Amino acid sequence: MNYDIYLVGVGGQGVLTIAELITEAAYLQGLPVNYYPTEGMAQRGGFVKAQVRLGRRFVGPNIPEKGADLAISMELSESLKAVRFLKPGGDFVLWGHIWLPTAAMLGKAPYPTLDTVRGQIERAGARLHYLDPHNLPLFQGELVPDNLYVLGAALGCSSLGKVLSVEAVKQAVRGRWQKAAERNLFALQAGMEALIEVEG
Amino acid sequence: MARQIINGNEALALGALSAGVKVVTGYPGTPSTRCLASLLALDLPQRHIEWSTNEKVALEIAAGAAWAGQRALCTMKMSGLNVAYDSLISIAYSGVVGGLVIYVADDPGVNAGMAEQDSRGFAIMADLPMLEPASPVEAYRLMQDAFELSEETGTPVFIRLVTAVANSKTVVDVEDYGLPPQREAQLIRDINRFTKAGAAICMQQHRDLIARLDKAGEWIAAHGLNELNLSAAPNGLGVVAAGVAIAYLDEGFELAERYGFDPQAVSLLKVRAVHPFPAAEARTLLEHCQTVLVLEELEPHIEKSLAAEAYRMNWQGRIIGKLDGTFSRVGAYDVRQVIEGLDRALGLSIPAEALQGYAAEQYAAARPITVCAGCPHRGTFMAINEALRKLRYRKDEVMVTGDIGCTILGMNPPFNTVWNEVSMGASIGLAQGYVHAGVKTPVIATMGDSTFFHAGIPGLINAIQHQVPLTLIIMDNGWTAMTGMQVNPGTCATFQGEGGQQIDIAKIVPALGVDHFYQMDPSDLRSSVEILKEAIQQPGVKVVLSRMECAIQFHRRGDNTELAVVDMEKCALCKLCITQTGCPALSIEEGELKIDPALCTGCSLCMAVCNLNAIHMERVK
Repeated sequence: MNYDIYLVGVGGQGVLTIAELITEAAYLQGLPVNYYPTEGMAQRGGFVKAQVRLGRRFVGPNIPEKGADLAISMELSESLKAVRFLKPGGDFVLWGHIWLPTAAMLGKAPYPTLDTVRGQIERAGARLHYLDPHNLPLFQGELVPDNLYVLGAALGCSSLGKVLSVEAVKQAVRGRWQKAAERNLFALQAGMEALIEVEG
Repeated sequence: MARQIINGNEALALGALSAGVKVVTGYPGTPSTRCLASLLALDLPQRHIEWSTNEKVALEIAAGAAWAGQRALCTMKMSGLNVAYDSLISIAYSGVVGGLVIYVADDPGVNAGMAEQDSRGFAIMADLPMLEPASPVEAYRLMQDAFELSEETGTPVFIRLVTAVANSKTVVDVEDYGLPPQREAQLIRDINRFTKAGAAICMQQHRDLIARLDKAGEWIAAHGLNELNLSAAPNGLGVVAAGVAIAYLDEGFELAERYGFDPQAVSLLKVRAVHPFPAAEARTLLEHCQTVLVLEELEPHIEKSLAAEAYRMNWQGRIIGKLDGTFSRVGAYDVRQVIEGLDRALGLSIPAEALQGYAAEQYAAARPITVCAGCPHRGTFMAINEALRKLRYRKDEVMVTGDIGCTILGMNPPFNTVWNEVSMGASIGLAQGYVHAGVKTPVIATMGDSTFFHAGIPGLINAIQHQVPLTLIIMDNGWTAMTGMQVNPGTCATFQGEGGQQIDIAKIVPALGVDHFYQMDPSDLRSSVEILKEAIQQPGVKVVLSRMECAIQFHRRGDNTELAVVDMEKCALCKLCITQTGCPALSIEEGELKIDPALCTGCSLCMAVCNLNAIHMERVK
């Protein structure tokens, strides 16, 4: 089965970590994978995207427009850059975090509202799974890593759960963080069980 | 043998190890950096791996090693190849003894912000073979082929990756490499090969160069690097795909099948050796087909060669590519070009909306990039702006030339300090041109430390020799930072690695004989402004060394001892700290100024600009 994932966000949010965990899990499952990060300005709060293509042994790195089965966005405004690449009927997992560019913070430049983003995703014919950042759970008194929570949510609510085994993802998490595995696995599990507003 | 998830850069590095490479040199440049960086991260006895001062030096070192009979690899991005090209042409004419492979990374679609040049043109100009893998798996194998080809034909060989292949990670089977084979270094005295003394020698070298390229073409054909598959029935469609375009064929064919396309009816030529042009295979394809679709990113190099063959054969069919206007010379390819090409060739009537997603990005907020929290360049840009203001110059009347690397971020808000960007070290030359043009206001050049070592020194020497009144500001953060923290000649001795020595810019510049030399600490805004004011007003060549370590490195080591903290009772929310510094650690949340303690490095610039003393520093350790 071929399955394409388009991920977007802002440098520093852990977007690439989500993509790397998916890549590692696919490898552990024996599923062919090509992972193409675009991380030019990742350290500087710039736009970051990653494309993960599962299933084809030999495949071009870029997902075509209307090609992705799943989009994962970690930032409200950046979500809009993934819309073009989503298949009609595909899943759109949106972590509604707002990372305001300076000009928008100063009120000198526009920043889209949730309704605008929601409307655009709907017009593209996608199924929106919206995650409210205020609902991030605590683990031992501290907020869990939001990127693991979002990955969990994608596994729990979208078609990704049919492609990747949860066990393989957990194994990838354990392989990456020997010490902090428990905390990250908790975040993943919480994401999978998150109550998600499904639309579209 | 081990299965690994690696990207194209790492696959090239491991392929070179497995081919017995002895010397690897390069200069960092996105997207090529990871190739050499991944080797530096390994323990590799009996091999020499280094970041060189610039690409020209790197290539000369690699060529010297190859002339002594060893296998050598040199890595760079496309802009770096421009720097190395003077030596490269000469080395190409001489040929090599041991294998010499030059890896160049191009960036169709411009992910890393430089010219969208197609370096295949350089392979054509130098008469050197060029291999272009379509995936990390092919990169691993073709690097080994490149060394064999280089040694068997005595020619340097290019490997070219595009960003999408260089940065793509996939599963690659990697062999154990162990130690490089033991080869004694040879000293070959042969002025006919290794000098350019006189027309007879140079013209013979030109004949030999062409002969070596022909031989390389034969080697490539014999080893089947390019693949030709003819359809059963003649007079159908032929597809020529080069490099990464090959990787989109299967997906494109699959999509087109929904519109009545029959993949069995197509003849295919997959070109992995993009130079020399595979003329024999191309002629066979042309004889067999009535229409040929050419899929190659950027320039129509293969298409033009194909058209020349077609003309020679008096072939009457149709070639679909860039020359007929079907595809653009700008941007990266994906499956869309395969589909559009098939549609154009076969009239499949694929509806445009099948390939067109719903565009929503026009509603997205603009996110201009700026320097990191705590970046030393922030203080330098702010000090330049403030010094010019105090000297009563308007911003639009003082030229501040820019250079490559993090220092170019001074072009963006909130600084808007830097005006232009050309190539490594060019800021100092450009500045001299503005002075000679008759600009009456002060002219300022800015560049980083690695840029200064790379190509800035000759420009500064020129300014001193010709006594051109200008101010050069060298922003020394101790690292080649923008490409991900590589060591350069100025990096602190602690990080130079075994046998490496630091070279101090503060000793080089006065030794050149500049009229005025200053040093400033960009985190001390007030004194930096005074130093710059004085420097700008002095006659002659002035150099200001603005020195403070890159905040990322400093922060990673946990060396920061202070954090900026807001005193909410004093803060009037005037936002001056945000508008002046643009620091990513500052934000307004729920009507309050917030300083993110995870990002703040304690540079104190926000405190320096606050008129209300509402920000103070607190010790964290």
